[in-house]
Amino acid sequence: MFVFKVGKLAQMLNVHRNTITNWIKTEKLKATPAAAKQYTIPTREFMSFCREENIPDNVCQSILKHAPGTGHVPVIEEAKGKLKIPKNRFKPEKKLGSVMVVGGGIAGIQATLDLADAGYYVYMIEKTAGIGGAMAQLDKTFPTNDCSM
Amino acid sequence: MEGDVGNFSVKIKQKPRYIDMDKCIACGVCAEKCPKKVDDEFNMGISKRKAAYIKYGQSVPLKYAIDPDQCIYLTRGKCRACEKFCPTGAINFDDKERTHTIHVGVVILAPGFKPFDPSIYDVYGYARLKDVVTSLDYERLLSASGPNMGHLIRPSDNREPKKIAWIQCIGSRSHNRCDNTFCSSVCCMYAIKQALVTAEHLSGNDISQTIFFMDLRSHGKDFERYYNTAMEKGIRFIRARPHTIDPGKDGNGVSMRYITELGETVDEAFDMAVLSIGLEASQDSIFLAKTFNIDLDAHHFAATTSFTPVESNRAGVLVTGAFQAPKAIPRSVAQASAAAASAATLLSDARGTLTKTKTYPQATDISEQAPAIGVFVCACGINISNVVDVNAVANYAKTLPHVVYVENNLFTCSADTQELIAEKIKKNNLNRVVIAACTPRTHEPLFQETLKEASLNGFMVEMANIRNQNAWVHQSDPEKATQKAMDQVRMAVAKITFSSPLSQGKLKVNQRVLIIGGGVSGMTSALSMADQGFDTLILEKTDTLGGNARALECAFKGEPVQPMVEQLIDQIESHENITVYKQSTLESVSGSVGNFNGSISVNNASMDIDFGGAILTTGAGEAIPQSYGYGEHSHIMTHLEFDREVMKNQKTEPNDNVVFIQCVGSREPERPYCSRICCVHSVKTAIALKTRTPDIQVFILYRDMRTYGVWEQYYQQARELGVIFIRYDLDSKPKVTLKQKEIQVNITDPIIGIPLEIQADYLVLASGVVAHDSDKLTSLFKCSVDSDGFLNEAHPKLRPVDMSVNGLFLAGMCNYPKPLDESIEQAKAAASRAGVLLSREYMELDAIKSFVTDKCDGCALCLDVCPYDAIFLKEITTETGEVTKRVVTDSALCKGCGICFATCPKEGIMVHGFTMDELKAQVSAAMA
Repeated sequence: MFVFKVGKLAQMLNVHRNTITNWIKTEKLKATPAAAKQYTIPTREFMSFCREENIPDNVCQSILKHAPGTGHVPVIEEAKGKLKIPKNRFKPEKKLGSVMVVGGGIAGIQATLDLADAGYYVYMIEKTAGIGGAMAQLDKTFPTNDCSM
Repeated sequence: MEGDVGNFSVKIKQKPRYIDMDKCIACGVCAEKCPKKVDDEFNMGISKRKAAYIKYGQSVPLKYAIDPDQCIYLTRGKCRACEKFCPTGAINFDDKERTHTIHVGVVILAPGFKPFDPSIYDVYGYARLKDVVTSLDYERLLSASGPNMGHLIRPSDNREPKKIAWIQCIGSRSHNRCDNTFCSSVCCMYAIKQALVTAEHLSGNDISQTIFFMDLRSHGKDFERYYNTAMEKGIRFIRARPHTIDPGKDGNGVSMRYITELGETVDEAFDMAVLSIGLEASQDSIFLAKTFNIDLDAHHFAATTSFTPVESNRAGVLVTGAFQAPKAIPRSVAQASAAAASAATLLSDARGTLTKTKTYPQATDISEQAPAIGVFVCACGINISNVVDVNAVANYAKTLPHVVYVENNLFTCSADTQELIAEKIKKNNLNRVVIAACTPRTHEPLFQETLKEASLNGFMVEMANIRNQNAWVHQSDPEKATQKAMDQVRMAVAKITFSSPLSQGKLKVNQRVLIIGGGVSGMTSALSMADQGFDTLILEKTDTLGGNARALECAFKGEPVQPMVEQLIDQIESHENITVYKQSTLESVSGSVGNFNGSISVNNASMDIDFGGAILTTGAGEAIPQSYGYGEHSHIMTHLEFDREVMKNQKTEPNDNVVFIQCVGSREPERPYCSRICCVHSVKTAIALKTRTPDIQVFILYRDMRTYGVWEQYYQQARELGVIFIRYDLDSKPKVTLKQKEIQVNITDPIIGIPLEIQADYLVLASGVVAHDSDKLTSLFKCSVDSDGFLNEAHPKLRPVDMSVNGLFLAGMCNYPKPLDESIEQAKAAASRAGVLLSREYMELDAIKSFVTDKCDGCALCLDVCPYDAIFLKEITTETGEVTKRVVTDSALCKGCGICFATCPKEGIMVHGFTMDELKAQVSAAMA
């Protein structure tokens, strides 16, 4: 059994304390609360967590050795930068209401208009100085002989 | 690009334009003064443009740009003439390339295609002979805005050509010199179009158009009729591929050598040759595929599957248009809408989070003002001005009563002219505007917008159509045309004098959608609507979902269909936003766009429903063959029967003869359209047979192999596997005779000219697709079908899934025969279009509606004539306490057609924007 405090573990892993709390909340780190703001976790569980998060073995071992639940804890240099955890990893990812359309021919124009009319913000990217594409170059269209422009 | 679906961040490079878009007024002085002439790529290099240029007259945005590769200052450090002369100081040579990072939820790739460059074929002499042009060159030669202003002249001596030839499949269906083994699927039709339009440009009886083709592929809606029209009009179709083009006599024109079907070599002279070039993937495709990390197919088109035709292999990156496969405009448009639907389903939670609604300044009250009319006369480039003297019209307009301001414009519809009109309205205190230009059908909304921006009521504009109704139809008589334009302007001025501001009503939109038909199209539409968050109802006539797809083995790209259908049904039945009514039909409908009410019969019990819009996906069926001994022998069967009974159970023996006959009852007077799917289906089945047992003999008897687009690869594969293709004509149709238990097929092979006798173990008839009877639906919704019984779209090119009745959309085979992937595209497209309608809680109504005046005495004559059932009789109590009857109109149903107004004997009902005062003034002005 391994005992730790959230702040201390965060310090050693070089992540924010809320990250550790979130890990515990989402049961990524299967720790159970104990007295005096400490948490306990089976050593094996912690080691497998480290493996999953690509924390090097020596870092994992030295965390276990220093038992961050008690006394003074040194910052483990090796842990720095090794843990590349995206900031919003545990936040539900917010979707953006915008779309990029590449190409300003008839297909690009139609997709853009539909999305803009339905309430999405559209960025249209066109290579040349004006939109219209190949259809603008046509004289008439079959089978109705309508003017293409 | 980085990130994942819902949250991509994309880096974009913006090239410098060297002209400030905010300052440029598109006056064209920069281009006029620019000394550097370069080939105009928009006109395919036939004409010149300057280094300071706009792409084309109606370009969006209508802002000039400087071509940095050509500009003398930017390449050699001297000149800056444009800068000197620009009246607004818009030239900015310090403009730098900029990079932007944008954050988007979804990416849609629509970079289009590259027209094939035929100069690699020395035998066709495109680079060598002046009178050999590509079809895109020719398109510019025909165009009124093209290098010759629509006067068709050949490049070598600027004379009108009389005898023109088209050569098909240049850079398509070919291994030779290019690896474009696919069919570009649009060239046959555009060549016919060009041949037909050519006749309108040239005069004299000695003009002739010849199209050299391999298979004529008119496989779309109304295409076969177009082809027939072309033959009736005398366009010559020759099944041959000219192998050499030499210069003609005196170096003008061409001399072409080809071999007829009878094996004779013919040398024929033409004034001009047009190479029908194909569509190929551009270099951009490869770059985009790398950047966005998506897969391309063997021809560098974006790889998709039959069931996800707009999704790339990367989530959140959608592909559409000719980037996915060569295709014509309607399918590109439908596919684009389909991509929009897929994007909308991926981002449905975030809809409306980043957009703002447009607001207009408060309209000024003009009720106390005397009419002050501004007249803007458009030249439409040369569309109007080369027939009508637009300056004379403008000068005449100045003399008309209440007209205080008149101006000529080159393009009144251009973006900068809109700002100009708004400015003139403010400066001259105009309260009414007349636009003498083209049709209000396409352009009135634009000018209404401009008026609203300028604090005027949008309906204070009247258009005089001096282009379509004048310049285009009176080309031979410019003098009288100018006179008529003056009459038209006088009428418009007279009418607008009596106009008053109108307001548009608002209508709450019922955000539920009804889907009629539970086939793959219907289910795809339903799923897309439901995923976008809309309440969805599906009506299915039978007791199972799945429709025709239930009978299919695999889709054209080879994916098994049944697991997909099962999965789709599971998703439909477990979706919280979808309710399915099986064994149900629609019995009655009332209401209109945004608010329909209807009753349906479910298992013979009646039920009321309400919905805001409907998608019609009623499908079509397989025709029952009437010829070739169908029904007389158990081994003579249709495609679906053969799939179901023979293919599925692998019944064929290794040394069987299987004969397919194409176009059974199709492309003949009784069913004069092409069913689009049979050729590919037969070829796919033949390949399956041949791969299973290579010794099996497969014959396909056809009229034109229409394995359009990327399906051409199957035609090739089938030939490589030894499938024998024999062509027949309508006058040499195969004969089927039954001798005891044997099926004998007789046909003459046109290449060797020898009659053949084939003992068929199985005879498969490609019997085509017929529309279901949709009389009931069309009468309920007042929508229309074409002469073949397929539901009509609102516009064949630009609104392929909308119907002419607002609020109705269509998808799948009820519109025209099509394979599964195209049905799915259309179904998603319909969901996108319906989503646009239903995503707004309120819908603005048109202001042109009928209204009841005090003169109405309740005679109710108008009730019977209203085609939209928009008028009701109501009892009212007048001020004097008298109880009387009077009509009321439903503004949501009223279309403003004016039949009630014409029927009413006492001006008791009128139409906004067309009141008696306005019309009287207009008619008197016409008579003046």
